[in-house]
Amino acid sequence: MQAVRFHGRGGQGVKTASRILGAAAFLEGFRAQDSPIYGAERRGAPVSAFTRIAKEPIRERGLIAHPNLVVVADASLIQDPAARVLDGIDDCTVLFVNSPLNPDQLRAQTSLPGRLTTLDLTGIALQQFGKRGAISALLGAVAGRLVGLRQESIREAIARELGDLGLAASAIERNQKVALQCYDAVPVMTIEKGAGPALVAAHLHVPTYEPPTRGSARISASANSVLRETGGWRTFRPVLVPDKCNGCWLCFAFCPDGVISMTKDDKPVIDYDHCKGCQICVHECPTEALVAEREKEGGVAWRAK
Amino acid sequence: MPWQRETFKKIKQIPREEHVLPGTTLCAGCGGLEALRLAAKVLGDDVVYVNAAGCFTMLATYPFTPFKGSWLYTTMGSAPAGAQGVRDALDVLIAKGRLPKNENLKVVVLGGDGSTYDMALSSTSGAICRGLDFYYFCYDNEGYGNTGMQLSSATPYGARTTTSPCSLQHPTGTMQEKKDIFEIWRAHKPPYIATVSPRYPLDLEEKFARAATFAGPKLFLALSACPTGWLYDPSETPEVAKLAVETGLWPLKVAINGGVTHTYIPKRKPVEEYLKLQGRFRHLFEPTKQEAAIHHIQERVDAYWEQATAEKS
Repeated sequence: MQAVRFHGRGGQGVKTASRILGAAAFLEGFRAQDSPIYGAERRGAPVSAFTRIAKEPIRERGLIAHPNLVVVADASLIQDPAARVLDGIDDCTVLFVNSPLNPDQLRAQTSLPGRLTTLDLTGIALQQFGKRGAISALLGAVAGRLVGLRQESIREAIARELGDLGLAASAIERNQKVALQCYDAVPVMTIEKGAGPALVAAHLHVPTYEPPTRGSARISASANSVLRETGGWRTFRPVLVPDKCNGCWLCFAFCPDGVISMTKDDKPVIDYDHCKGCQICVHECPTEALVAEREKEGGVAWRAK
Repeated sequence: MPWQRETFKKIKQIPREEHVLPGTTLCAGCGGLEALRLAAKVLGDDVVYVNAAGCFTMLATYPFTPFKGSWLYTTMGSAPAGAQGVRDALDVLIAKGRLPKNENLKVVVLGGDGSTYDMALSSTSGAICRGLDFYYFCYDNEGYGNTGMQLSSATPYGARTTTSPCSLQHPTGTMQEKKDIFEIWRAHKPPYIATVSPRYPLDLEEKFARAATFAGPKLFLALSACPTGWLYDPSETPEVAKLAVETGLWPLKVAINGGVTHTYIPKRKPVEEYLKLQGRFRHLFEPTKQEAAIHHIQERVDAYWEQATAEKS
């Protein structure tokens, strides 16, 4: 059995990618199972999805603790403990990371385990589609290539899954074309089907009953949400061109997260530790004094502290 | 007499201080969060938020909170009842002299449209009837957003949700009309109801500032443009919110003791401009344009404003 785990941020399309992979495997006559992890799935928050592919009926259910292949749609997740990207990975696991860096560069930065392969899907999507958006078809195609599925089944699976989401035929065709480019471009790592680690029953914690006065969560700290940094959500960061700023306050007024403050002489200061990169400020700035710059790994990008 | 802003006339009068701090896990570009952030600039820190389950659950996921004040979590159907308990407790403490009068707190309910239009409707009705002194802040993103956008009774005709998809039998997606919760509330004659938009910050701030002078229920509906559920790029939240108002689909108004005043009269752009920005309406344009459905939406807007202007004159 091939067990594939996808990690990404809400909105990148990892759930659909796992469905595309599952559908493609099914079309080739395999048994397939795919499921996302349900919780608060929202743009920018860590999301994961799972696909199992086998010739025999699949009895296993639930989360994939020991994947053969891990597909990471956003490299900044590797450092996010909440995303648990590296759970259950050993030296046999193949790890695909959507990154402009090559495996050696990436490993130098992150000391990743497993056997690493990379491709800059975000860059390809920006170049081909001209805008940021979901890269589900691209992720699905790359995963399909790495587990050894055929091009035709990936193409058909993309049509089915994106069609279900209500995408226009022209958009589906564009996605198929770019996805198959990625299929061809991704450096292949053969997935070893070793014995795999022995299965251990998950440890079950049975909570004891406490009366509501003791058992209810209570926070007596106030306004501590700033401890959680959401800067890693960004694909693009807004950058100020001071000469162009006319000090109109619109970026400050429309920032949903309140991460833009105004100096005494009416210039915006952006809190990059918390800016989620929605680009509202860039979009609303009347003088184009705020521009979007792609986040680069290893460069000035936000890093978890 | 046309409505005029008295306190908030210029954008630089928006208070600089933030009362909803960053670090929440709400979506990037959340229109609801933007509306709450602006409202909180008037409400201040001396607030007990009573939060019905919904997207705003993510404001204060344990152990983090973006507020300096308190936050109490309730089920979707019972936030106004929770607010009653908090208000009563504060009143008792003040009456007994255990809480100084000048340390009184505002009680503010936060509810999404699933809670407001559906599950908490009876609870809200009860609270208004009892004259509860509280604020109600509804962030209306026209669907159950926190669970992946299912149909609510706030979902408008023609929108696609996961439980009202575009299909052969129902080519328009949602077939029902958006429930007019403003009128349902107004029938109770509370002292203050207002609709607001995050794209009209001065209108929003002014309404919250004026509401403070009224005792009793003060209710707010904020149309919360939602990139995740409405399927558009997060950077377009202000644009989508603006077009909702400029097309006349989301009238900005107040009802003081039942009497309605429109606070902004849009020139009314064609509704198409609003619809075509959003993926949830894409099926009305592709693969074949559903002229009848778009026309129907336009007609409803036109009829609303004809009636509104007739009543005024």
